[in-house]
Amino acid sequence: MAVAQHNVLNINRVAITLGGREVLSPTSFDVARGEFVCIVGPSGCGKTTLLRAASGLLAPTSGEVLRNGQRVTQPSREVAFVFQDYGRALLPWRTVAGNVALALEAADVRGPAHAARIHDVLGKVGLLGHAHKFPAQLSGGMQQRVQIARCLAQEPQVLMMDEPFGALDALTRQGLQDQLAHLVLNDGLTVLFVTHDLEEAIYLGDRVVALQANPGPGRPSLARMLDVNIAKPRTQLATREHAEFLRLRRELFAFIEQSHA
Amino acid sequence: MRDTLNTGTRLMNALRPWWFPAVTLGLFEWYARTAGKDSDAIAPPSAALGGFASAMSDGSLVSATAFTLGSAALGLLFAAVLGIAAGIALGLSPRAARLSFLSIEVFRPIPSVALIPLSMLAFGFGLRMEFSIVAFACFWPMLLLSQAAVQQVEPRLLEVSQMLGLSPLQRARKIILPAITPRLFVALRLGVAVALVVAVTVEIAANPHGMGYAMMIAQQSLNPGLMLAWLMWISVVGYAINLGALKLERTLARKMGQVA
Repeated sequence: MAVAQHNVLNINRVAITLGGREVLSPTSFDVARGEFVCIVGPSGCGKTTLLRAASGLLAPTSGEVLRNGQRVTQPSREVAFVFQDYGRALLPWRTVAGNVALALEAADVRGPAHAARIHDVLGKVGLLGHAHKFPAQLSGGMQQRVQIARCLAQEPQVLMMDEPFGALDALTRQGLQDQLAHLVLNDGLTVLFVTHDLEEAIYLGDRVVALQANPGPGRPSLARMLDVNIAKPRTQLATREHAEFLRLRRELFAFIEQSHA
Repeated sequence: MRDTLNTGTRLMNALRPWWFPAVTLGLFEWYARTAGKDSDAIAPPSAALGGFASAMSDGSLVSATAFTLGSAALGLLFAAVLGIAAGIALGLSPRAARLSFLSIEVFRPIPSVALIPLSMLAFGFGLRMEFSIVAFACFWPMLLLSQAAVQQVEPRLLEVSQMLGLSPLQRARKIILPAITPRLFVALRLGVAVALVVAVTVEIAANPHGMGYAMMIAQQSLNPGLMLAWLMWISVVGYAINLGALKLERTLARKMGQVA
């Protein structure tokens, strides 16, 4: 199959049935290299399920996911996954540095490169002073940064994030949003980001994919695809007052409200 | 005034667990010296002290204790290594667990001491026979408890290891093993008790070595004082070992608790 070279991910008519219930009806979209795509939608619309399928953790019931033109059948080191529940995704018996090192041990990185990369990614997420602490000694926001650092240490092509900031307080969330946006811009990462926070999706995304719950027989889960034409880097104050931001916000809120009705 | 009261109460509290054993020993002593004076079967506990001293002076106390504890420890070590490895494998693979269910349920109920004749044929008297039976007895609890422990490992951690691309061996070493360590210690403490019981039983029934055999010899040579000395010594050793295992487990739990 001919696939345009600039697409990192092709989601082709992916549908998923779990326990006899169709969680995701056939959904298709592409993600270009370096693009930040956010997936939003009401609870139960299958956004996390879609992300898991895209990562290779879950096999689609029908349809396929292509990464760089190759069919995805299992997880790959090229794809890093940030789970929402950082408390359960970190190894409690390892320090911050030890948790990050796990990614390097899996890739068999040794010697000076090992220490250098831990130093590098901890610096990127601002945890250099906490390398020898255990996860339980850190706040939720810091724990989530450890998980992000571990994913960065993997040196992935694609970063997949499942409501990574959903469990954090508003201020911490905004801080992490800016840190993530900065990181992604610098490293040229491709990101697939699931959130239930519509403003977060617009603030971070180049594109917002909106899914609907229970679309009805034969109809796709994918309901809206919005381009976010706001220049980067963005800032919390200015961007959230940007006319385009407000217009997209209105459109998304209207859509969610209507799909709840 | 208050302080002396407290000291008194504390002393009472410290002594309280001792009154029952002390009274029992006293009654036993009194009975053995009066009604059982002419018996070949009972000796007063005070006579056990003499037996203990003689066992200590002729070196049999140390050598017999070393033999029993050595074979119990060796058997437990074998059982732990094999049982934990098999438990991890069965815990990770539902298919392997289904396939092996029948074999496990057929072999597991065999009383370990029923293997004495077979083991005696295979290994003769001595260390190998004894520790192989101990290993058999301890293998099953180690297997089942580590399998259950693996099934309770946080599933998210397994997904993390998948996404990071850890090999199956790395996953077992770096994720599963540390995650199940606290539960393994519970299994190990259970195993310690089983190992001691089985080792002494094998010595009493067949193997002419160790504390169990020494106790049998004392009984057969109509030396109830020495027999009683061995019995008490075995209970002291068992108590000390369980206490040690519990201490180790608590230390570790506290260490893991600080980080968990």
